[in-house]
Amino acid sequence: MKALLIDVTRCVGCRGCQVACKEWNELPAEKTRFFASPKGYQNPRDLSSKTWRVVTYNEAQTNGRFEWVFGHLQCFHCIEPSCATACPVSALQKTKEGPVVYDPDRCLGCRYCQLACPFLVPRFEWDKAIPKITKCTMCADRVAAGEEPACAKVCPTDAIVFGEREDLIAEAENRIHRNPRGYVHHIYGKDEVGGTCVLHLSNVPFEVLGYRTDLPKISLREYTKTAMQVVPHVKIGLAVALGAVSWVIQRRIRNGRDEKNGSSSGGES
Amino acid sequence: MTNHWSDMVHADVIMIMGSNAAENHPIATKWITRAKEKGAIVVSADPRYTRTSSFADVYCKFRSGTDIAFVGGMINYALQNDFVQKDYVLNYTNASFIISEKYGFDDGLFTGYNPASRSYDKSHWAYELDGKGMPVRDMTLQHPRCAFQLLKKHFQRYDVDTVCNITGAPRDVYLQVCRHYTSTWAPDRVGTWLYAMGATQHTHGTQNIRTYAILQLLLGNVGLAGGGVNALRGESNVQGSTDMALLFHILPGYLASPTAADQSLAAYLASNTPRTNDPKSANWWGNYPKYIVSLLKAWYGGHAARENDFAFSYIPKRSGDYSWISLFEAMYAGQIKGLMLFGQNPAVGGPNTNKEIKALEKLDWMVAVDLWETETASIWKRPGVKPADIKTEIFLLPSASSVEKEGSITNSARWAQWRYAAVHPVGNSRSDLWILDALCKAVKKEYAAGGVFPEPITRLAWDYGTGEEVDVRKEPDVHRVAKEINGYFTQEKTVGGRQYKKGEQVPGFALLQDDGSTCSGNWLYCNSYAGPEKKDNKMARRSKRDAMNGIGLYPDWAWCWPVNRRILYNRASVDPTGKPWNPKRWVIRWNAGKKQWEGDVPDGPWPPGEKHPFIMKPDGHAWLFAGNLNDGPLPEHYEPLESPLPNMMSRQQVNPAIKLWHKDAPEMNAVGTADRFPIVGTTYRVSEHWQAGAMTRNLPWLAELVPDVFVEMGVDLARQKGVQNGDRVTLETARGKMSGYALVTRRFEPFRHNGKIVHEVGVIWHFGYQGIVKGDSANVLTPHVGDANTMIPEYKAFLCNVYKAKGGAS
Repeated sequence: MKALLIDVTRCVGCRGCQVACKEWNELPAEKTRFFASPKGYQNPRDLSSKTWRVVTYNEAQTNGRFEWVFGHLQCFHCIEPSCATACPVSALQKTKEGPVVYDPDRCLGCRYCQLACPFLVPRFEWDKAIPKITKCTMCADRVAAGEEPACAKVCPTDAIVFGEREDLIAEAENRIHRNPRGYVHHIYGKDEVGGTCVLHLSNVPFEVLGYRTDLPKISLREYTKTAMQVVPHVKIGLAVALGAVSWVIQRRIRNGRDEKNGSSSGGES
Repeated sequence: MTNHWSDMVHADVIMIMGSNAAENHPIATKWITRAKEKGAIVVSADPRYTRTSSFADVYCKFRSGTDIAFVGGMINYALQNDFVQKDYVLNYTNASFIISEKYGFDDGLFTGYNPASRSYDKSHWAYELDGKGMPVRDMTLQHPRCAFQLLKKHFQRYDVDTVCNITGAPRDVYLQVCRHYTSTWAPDRVGTWLYAMGATQHTHGTQNIRTYAILQLLLGNVGLAGGGVNALRGESNVQGSTDMALLFHILPGYLASPTAADQSLAAYLASNTPRTNDPKSANWWGNYPKYIVSLLKAWYGGHAARENDFAFSYIPKRSGDYSWISLFEAMYAGQIKGLMLFGQNPAVGGPNTNKEIKALEKLDWMVAVDLWETETASIWKRPGVKPADIKTEIFLLPSASSVEKEGSITNSARWAQWRYAAVHPVGNSRSDLWILDALCKAVKKEYAAGGVFPEPITRLAWDYGTGEEVDVRKEPDVHRVAKEINGYFTQEKTVGGRQYKKGEQVPGFALLQDDGSTCSGNWLYCNSYAGPEKKDNKMARRSKRDAMNGIGLYPDWAWCWPVNRRILYNRASVDPTGKPWNPKRWVIRWNAGKKQWEGDVPDGPWPPGEKHPFIMKPDGHAWLFAGNLNDGPLPEHYEPLESPLPNMMSRQQVNPAIKLWHKDAPEMNAVGTADRFPIVGTTYRVSEHWQAGAMTRNLPWLAELVPDVFVEMGVDLARQKGVQNGDRVTLETARGKMSGYALVTRRFEPFRHNGKIVHEVGVIWHFGYQGIVKGDSANVLTPHVGDANTMIPEYKAFLCNVYKAKGGAS
């Protein structure tokens, strides 16, 4: 199974990955503004249907040393993704190569996946007439063609590397072993929610980077399954989903009207 | 760069000062992080904790404009602790040379100073010569007037406490920096020094770099793999444009541009060709006549002959300083009528832009050749002006981007790399070559009808394959240009027993002639296109074969000047017998059996010991003591033109050899004082934007990342000024004011100087009134003042004040 290893100690925050992601996936730019937050250089504010990868800028004082560390928001590509389990029409699927992909033609826009994802990754196309869910696909098209994802390809410092998950875990363990004072002794994503295909190494505690550290070490799929079983059969699920789509479209039209009337926020949420 | 990008991987210590490599040269970090993986120590010295500092092992802050004090202290630390590579210093530098009795230094001034002209008589700093005209040397380095002792005495004054008081660097961190860096004096350790515009853009920029060179020489780090003094150039092809005479004081190949005093070729050669009486000095610049004659042959072909001084009278003789600031001052004074700009945006990028825009308004005409309609091309419709009030007639020529045209670029590492056109130019845009070809033909046509002195134009050799007429469909043959730059034989000629035919490409600059039998548009590039076919274009090579020393020279990847030498001064990487100082990462070595050098292309073929290693210096030695600079033979700390503090080293507040524009041309050249403007200001770039912003503020993906101007300021200062993160703030200097969002950060700490607290703020300068994202230009703040040698503007240190403006971000 393929995976990405993101070593934030090697990241210099140049954001080549963020641009390469948009370039390869043909995602439009967002209209952004400088925003007041301790994140400084960060933009856009958050992931969105147009932004599948965001570099965050984090100032921290750890072990008596000031650090400026760059975090990476993107899909974690869980080994057992709860988003896929939650999807009533199997639009989201885990591929055997590693990426969690989705089929926009199947997506109903129900947004169950958004609720199911512990990392708040899937984002909704609020500005489309028939909105769908979007997220990082680990450049599944590139991976299928034997290429590495765009973010890994462009990274000048090999802060993002692509490879077999087992090999990357061994590499990550090796880096910690070689430089025990340079890393937090934890590979984020090795065990979180049963393991993910995007692994992180850091020199500062992961909560400093804004990563959730309260996640169980087992797959969330079990919870999701239970939740889905409450719904007696798919028809009801569909009805609910379509109802949601309709609600969303109405809301979207409403929002669009508001925006025209002058309120323009940077992100979509 | 003396070395090259991938060579940084060999360094044991990497000093990044005056450069924010992670921000402006992200690809450098590929090699720096790899060196780190192998155990290298990375030091970042910067007024502000930057993206580069984020991966450094040691970050040391210092106030903008105090670089000489900072590095001067490191030089002193090395000398006091004897962390000096003695064999290297003794044999390869001018440490042992005795300096004239007339040399002296007192209270910030060297001898020979003339306060009226603000200039020095450099004869005071000359070498003492013996009866044969050879420099007198003391190989014990004990003579009180030898360069080594003078250096030691000069830098003794830069003790740690004095340095930390001037720079505001924390003492313990500064000592760590000194310890780490000077550890590379050991022959088996090496340090590389990376710098960029943070070092050069000062009134003492040249001397900043001199401090790096002195330290690197004392530690024996020049010429070695993983060493050197490495300028990370500000644009992808700045090295190439400098090689090809972008600057006013040079012709292609760093030949001096003639001045009014050079009324004949003989006079020009007499004042520029260095001489030596030392048989061991290669004195490479002794070849000056060959290079200038070959250049004139490239420009004037058959019209350049011995009888007419090779058309030397056709090329302009300058009567003064035509640097950026001087040109804009002359424009402001109404002395310049027209201006052509190729990819230049002075309305954003020039210092004191309020004045420079006013200067542009005084022109009769201006032609802007660019990818976008820049701020400069649209001064007539900028906010707050009526187009009818601007008399300047402005033409905008759309030009092709780098991926739309074929040609070479030369990177910081001196590699000339050939590029193919990936796509056709958009719309009616044309390559720069097409535009210049068409322009030259049109001007020639005008002069053919008559003129005051038409020959320099009408006789210009101009044949790049498009015929006489301008044709929109015909792109000039860029290979013809490249072949002419390399040079060819203009007649049959026998050199070194081999006969060369007329029209044959010259294989290397050692074969260029001063009799008119060769032409070369740039002697440094002779060897880059050494045959008639496209396959002979070495710049297009892409082989990944490494040289036998296995240090990543990749000699068959592109081509590097001079003659594909990847590491400059590599004869200094071996001891006088030809053995590498560091056998583990050797650059060249002498093979006694084969009687030849192996590894990199050496600085000349002579066996070890036969010639001194620094072949571009007339005395063959690297200069610890440099008697040719305008502002002194040794670097000395002076404050920037605008500074909140008195100079703690002497009563000379600013560099005594700089031109003071605020005195000579006071209009719109106000200088601020610390009572009104107590805060130090500086300007810089971010990864996401490029220079004056036209190329990035027009690209949605990049505009999205940094959509607005921001001003970085420390937490303490923000508290004092009542500024919150995201507030709008105004920065003001004596010359102008601009606004941006406040980015309040711990990364910008105040400095403590003798107990006095000084704050510094920084602002990105990429913005202007055109493009998808717009903002105020930071260069309305910066002054018209330049370095004493190069006239590069002092963008990096000025006085300002900051206050909260209306509005803010949510």
